[in-house]
Amino acid sequence: MYTFQKIRSLLFFLSVLLFCTGLPVILSYALGYKFNTRSFKFVKTGLIFIKTQPAQSQIYLNNRLIPEKTPASIQELLPGSYKITLALEEHYPWEGQVEVEAGKASRVDKVILFSKRPSLQQLSREKFSSFRVDQERKMVYYLDQEKKLVYRSNLDASDLEDIASLPDSFSQINGWEISPDRKKLFIFNYRQINVIHFDVQNDYEYPLAPVFLEYPQSKVLAVFWHSDSYHLVVFTDKHVQVAESRPGALPVNLVELNKAGPDAFYDTKEDVLYFSDTQRNSAGILQNNLYKLELSADLDLLQRLINPPFSQPKPAAKEELSE
Amino acid sequence: MNKPLFLKRLLEIIPGGLSWSIIILLIALAFLNPVSCAVIIISFDFYWIIRTVYLTILLVMAHQRLFQQKNENWLKACQGLSLRLGFAQLYQVVIFPVYNEGLEVLRPSLAALSASDYPQDKIIVVMAFEERSLEARKHASILEKEFSGKFGAYLSTFHPDGLPQEGRTKGANATWAAKEARKLLDARSITYEQAVVSCFDADTCVDREYFACLAYHFLTSEKRHQASYQPMPVYNNNIWQAPFFARLVEISSTFCQMIESMRLEKFVTFSSHSMSFKTLVEIDYWPTNMISDDSVIYWKSYLYYNGDYRVIPLYVTVSLDVAYSSNIWRTIVVQYKQKRRWAWGVENFPFVVSGFIKNKNIKLSNKIRRSFHLLESHVTWAVWAVILVVIGPLPAVFGGSFFNQTAIAYNLPKITGLLFKFTLYTSLTWIFLSWTILPPRPKGTSWLKHVFLIAEWVFVPLIILVIGSVPALDAQTRLMLAKYMEFNPTLKGNKML
Repeated sequence: MYTFQKIRSLLFFLSVLLFCTGLPVILSYALGYKFNTRSFKFVKTGLIFIKTQPAQSQIYLNNRLIPEKTPASIQELLPGSYKITLALEEHYPWEGQVEVEAGKASRVDKVILFSKRPSLQQLSREKFSSFRVDQERKMVYYLDQEKKLVYRSNLDASDLEDIASLPDSFSQINGWEISPDRKKLFIFNYRQINVIHFDVQNDYEYPLAPVFLEYPQSKVLAVFWHSDSYHLVVFTDKHVQVAESRPGALPVNLVELNKAGPDAFYDTKEDVLYFSDTQRNSAGILQNNLYKLELSADLDLLQRLINPPFSQPKPAAKEELSE
Repeated sequence: MNKPLFLKRLLEIIPGGLSWSIIILLIALAFLNPVSCAVIIISFDFYWIIRTVYLTILLVMAHQRLFQQKNENWLKACQGLSLRLGFAQLYQVVIFPVYNEGLEVLRPSLAALSASDYPQDKIIVVMAFEERSLEARKHASILEKEFSGKFGAYLSTFHPDGLPQEGRTKGANATWAAKEARKLLDARSITYEQAVVSCFDADTCVDREYFACLAYHFLTSEKRHQASYQPMPVYNNNIWQAPFFARLVEISSTFCQMIESMRLEKFVTFSSHSMSFKTLVEIDYWPTNMISDDSVIYWKSYLYYNGDYRVIPLYVTVSLDVAYSSNIWRTIVVQYKQKRRWAWGVENFPFVVSGFIKNKNIKLSNKIRRSFHLLESHVTWAVWAVILVVIGPLPAVFGGSFFNQTAIAYNLPKITGLLFKFTLYTSLTWIFLSWTILPPRPKGTSWLKHVFLIAEWVFVPLIILVIGSVPALDAQTRLMLAKYMEFNPTLKGNKML
């Protein structure tokens, strides 16, 4: 037992010694102090932390290559300005000037080194006018105005199929969008909106004949799908309307516009339309105002407006958001 | 408030007050001066790593001693001792304080005792029941029939409830039993110097060679009456059946005890232990109103002998039950309460310091050293896990943009991570050692259980969180607020012990 106690005492004193000598070293390192062997003084330094994407890029500090590769922290740098160059084979280099302050960490951690040979892949050889990517369902929709066809494929464009034909009568498509239920699309130009059902199995209760909505008196600026995939929210130069996507449906004017601006945004998740309109302020000067039209909570009201009379559109209420 | 009471309350407040002050101060620093807080955290982390490595080396040394002495033939060693040392006349008085434990707990303890290689006619067993326990008489009668003929003497005692100056504690029951044993020794003309008394938890199963080992150390030690004899407690009775959480905690407890056995200047009796009967009588037995009777008995002796009293480690095991319950959550609660009861050992601090104040014969340096050790161990127990787990990340979280731009903010997680990589090596050592002290795998238990026993060590951080510091902080806070704990037996193996 005596020998064990001697060993233990030795261990204890070694531990105390290690703590007493190691702690100042660790703390000075943590606080950024460095012992200058020339001046025999402690100087406070800073550090640069570098992180790149992808990692493992070479680091040049003031044009001198250092052994560390990213991600790395270059410790014990005297305060001042440093030129950092990050180089990775087959990637565009990054260069920048970094200020180092005593006791502080300068971060260069948002660097993306872009490849000189970007990963470019030709997915489709089919001819088409425009396309939409459905990230949620991992599909791509194509519109071929020449052949008057709508295609669909997966994201690799390896499973291409015709899903709808466009009407011959429809010239000049200004915009199109797939419905939230992915069973139909609308196309529109200034005077016309056309809803086309896909040639795939569907369970609609209403007729699948193409739906045409004519706008001889106004100019259609933007069209959006309501989240129910049945109503269309139409933004013209005179009104904000809703219309059912069925033959013979009459649109309902929800808001009368003075002079609609070019911008409109529809939040399909919340069924809210944001748009701008011009109005004269108290000083008599015309100015643009931003409006928010909620179409979700008032869906019952919307149905009442649309369904019963199919009569004259009611004057729409205007809700001012900001001036 | 009179002076002694004021002093008592002051000493009761010190450990909890110190622990809470450290925690509150560090939390406040994390907000007000995160750089200083980070410096303290790094210093503490470094201290903790060195301490862990140091203690792990001590554990390895204790383990080596345990395995070295395991193969000793202690009985032969005793028989080879000089006749004047009196092995032939040495009696072992074994007291089992019992509360509500069932026969399924008591029988294995007595069976292990009867299987001891020590001359059975020199063993005096005292089954110390509580009068208030409903089944005490019935159990006493059954056990007497089964075991009374196997030992030199067998006593069943029944401690009356509600005696003046007594709490409902194990110490009160053990004291009553020891006084009854004293009458027996007197009747048989056995001097107190000839008797060694062991006070065992009811679930204690001694190793075959325990009493021979104890006798050898007792007879060959200098100032044998001025020492307690502490075996290594292992929780092997039901370790294969216990849930991982409880098993890990109890293995850690065994390791802590083994480590303590290497630090003789701090070593204090814990759980089942033995001592001279003469000393027990002289110091007026165990405390009858304190929960931590196992450690207070040491301090009473230390004060009585003016600091010339020590604990001699016995590298022989006594096996106890792992405390657990029917599901993991109840097990956590059971373990939490057990650890809180152990942490209630902080009540020793006011007892010891007020004893030091009264005793003018103990050297001042010894008084300061022992008081500091006692206080430091309890305060460290209460704050270490809080500092490592809770306060460690605070500077980075609440330091704000100014702190996060500093070199230390960047280096804090880096240094802490690096330092704690060292603990991985110590953990591997602990895993290996835990595997070596396991009892043989019971029949019908898959060998895969060995793999689980190793894999379950990944839950150590969870255990640190739940029962690292909180039970100790709880106990100290109760003492600080004078909300004194009562003795609550621990639920072990679904049985109240």
